[in-house]
Amino acid sequence: MHRHGLLLTAVATVTVPGLLAVLAVRGHENVAAGTVGVAAAAAGAAALTGPFPVAPASARASVRNNFAAVQRESGARVTVLSRTTADEQAQGMHMLSEAADAGLAMSYQGVAMISQSGVDGSVRMVSKVWHRGGGLTLIQTSSAPSRPAAKAAGVSTEMDASSTGGVFGITKTLVTLLGKHYVAVYSGHGSVARRPAAVVVLYRFDGSLAARYWLDRQTMVPLRRELFDTSDRVIDEDSFVNVRFGATAVGALAGARGLSGKSAALQESGWAPADRPSAFLAWLAGKGWRVPGGLSGGLPLYAAASASTANGEVVDLQYSDGLYVVSLFVQRGVLTKDMAGWRQRSLGGQQAWVSGRSVTWAGRGFVYTMVADAPAQTVRQVVGDLPQDASPGFLGRLGRGLARIAGLIVPFA
Amino acid sequence: MSHLGDLLSALVDGELSGAELDRANAHLAACGHCRGEAVALRRLKYELRALAVEISDASQFTERLLAMAGTAEPAGPDGRAPARRAGRERGGRRMIRARAASRRGGADPYTAPPSPRPVRRRRVRYMLWSTLSLVVVGVGGAAFGMGGGGSPPGPKITPQLEVFDLQHAITSGDIPFPDPAIVSSRVPVGAATP
Repeated sequence: MHRHGLLLTAVATVTVPGLLAVLAVRGHENVAAGTVGVAAAAAGAAALTGPFPVAPASARASVRNNFAAVQRESGARVTVLSRTTADEQAQGMHMLSEAADAGLAMSYQGVAMISQSGVDGSVRMVSKVWHRGGGLTLIQTSSAPSRPAAKAAGVSTEMDASSTGGVFGITKTLVTLLGKHYVAVYSGHGSVARRPAAVVVLYRFDGSLAARYWLDRQTMVPLRRELFDTSDRVIDEDSFVNVRFGATAVGALAGARGLSGKSAALQESGWAPADRPSAFLAWLAGKGWRVPGGLSGGLPLYAAASASTANGEVVDLQYSDGLYVVSLFVQRGVLTKDMAGWRQRSLGGQQAWVSGRSVTWAGRGFVYTMVADAPAQTVRQVVGDLPQDASPGFLGRLGRGLARIAGLIVPFA
Repeated sequence: MSHLGDLLSALVDGELSGAELDRANAHLAACGHCRGEAVALRRLKYELRALAVEISDASQFTERLLAMAGTAEPAGPDGRAPARRAGRERGGRRMIRARAASRRGGADPYTAPPSPRPVRRRRVRYMLWSTLSLVVVGVGGAAFGMGGGGSPPGPKITPQLEVFDLQHAITSGDIPFPDPAIVSSRVPVGAATP
């Protein structure tokens, strides 16, 4: 009996490592075969393409790696990379840059239809816009009537166009950011409001469609914009239905400034911009403010400002990849119980209040209000990532209590 | 005829010798009364001796129990260990340890005198654990109680949606998106973010 046991042990000692060795060799052969396959695909892809546009040097390493990975995979996902040359990309970026300048410098007047999809559903508006080149912009917005005969409530807004303003999200700052995160391609001619237009298409580095812009052929002012989410759904569509440029538009602006004003004066006197947003963020963090350096969806901080209100300081942190823009307003305090005009929704696993493209919630002594031109998925992620006044749970409650006890013992710590 | 009297007790105890012993034996042979008393005395002595042996065994038994329990305190006057000690110790485990010690060549726990345990050290340890438990439970309970409640105090904020939306529109180059039902707004010239 004892001898049989020894025999079995000896057989197992010899057989098991042998089997493992065989499996290892087979696995290595499979990996090697896969590598050969990728190399073959890379060779095939290279045969289809001309010069590759490369990811900008400022692109994150992961983006550059994705870029390279896409290049290795022959097939539909290399649309941007295989068909776009560096010259085309440069041309697309140049046209967008010209559009940003034209939006500020040109005088124009028109009517635009705005359609947005967000976490609170879809919204449609009609905006009458008067802009004097290098000067003021007057925007009168009304909700799009559901019936042709219905009268829509109107709101007039006057903006200083010497600010960062632009048309349909084309500003100098955002165009610079676009070049870091997207590939811009001039894709041909189009027409908007009976005016000839040049069409510029934005692609993500994975080749998916991100946005389309129609730029006026004569003035380069943006006439139309379509934004897409990562599932190729249109989330924003803005377009002039009629527009005119030049001296007649300036005359119209003078008349429009006499618009009836049931408007209320703003309580804020103005926003003080931060020269260096990252340093401003660090300063806030040092004072105990819970503010993020970047948002989900690859939206880095690019600008910041602050203003004083009756309830204390409000901080405006602006995040964008050039296409999607999120403004996060943070102030100390708790949300009031009277939230007229807001609807409570569950976002990112947390309770928040929603109104149009704005979301607000309270978290750990701060009130966050987010105004977002971004996909609903991104908005949910951002809300989920930021502090919330959720139930702390047993350990959380214990920790909070210990912190309070420590605060009582050492009040100035 | 006089009887043996006190000599009978000495005879039974084996304290007589020589002529006294012969004279006492001769009397016993002739006197039935003294013979009966001698028999009764011997029986009584025998029974007393047996009783003394029993008492000695009971005392040993108590000491064995104390040894198994590991207590160093002697049994009380009634031969039993103090109740507080007997109820506190874990006799079974100590008995196993004692038996193991016996197997290793140690003293027999049933016959060896009780080992001198560090009573004071155990008492200090007991006090330390009790104090620590009280502190943990007390502080934990207080922390849990103080950790409840809502948000930290602060001003009640009503988000100024129209202001924020306008600021967002200026910085993003987008159309302002105010709720027409709430308010219309006007930004003073030059008040915007550059």
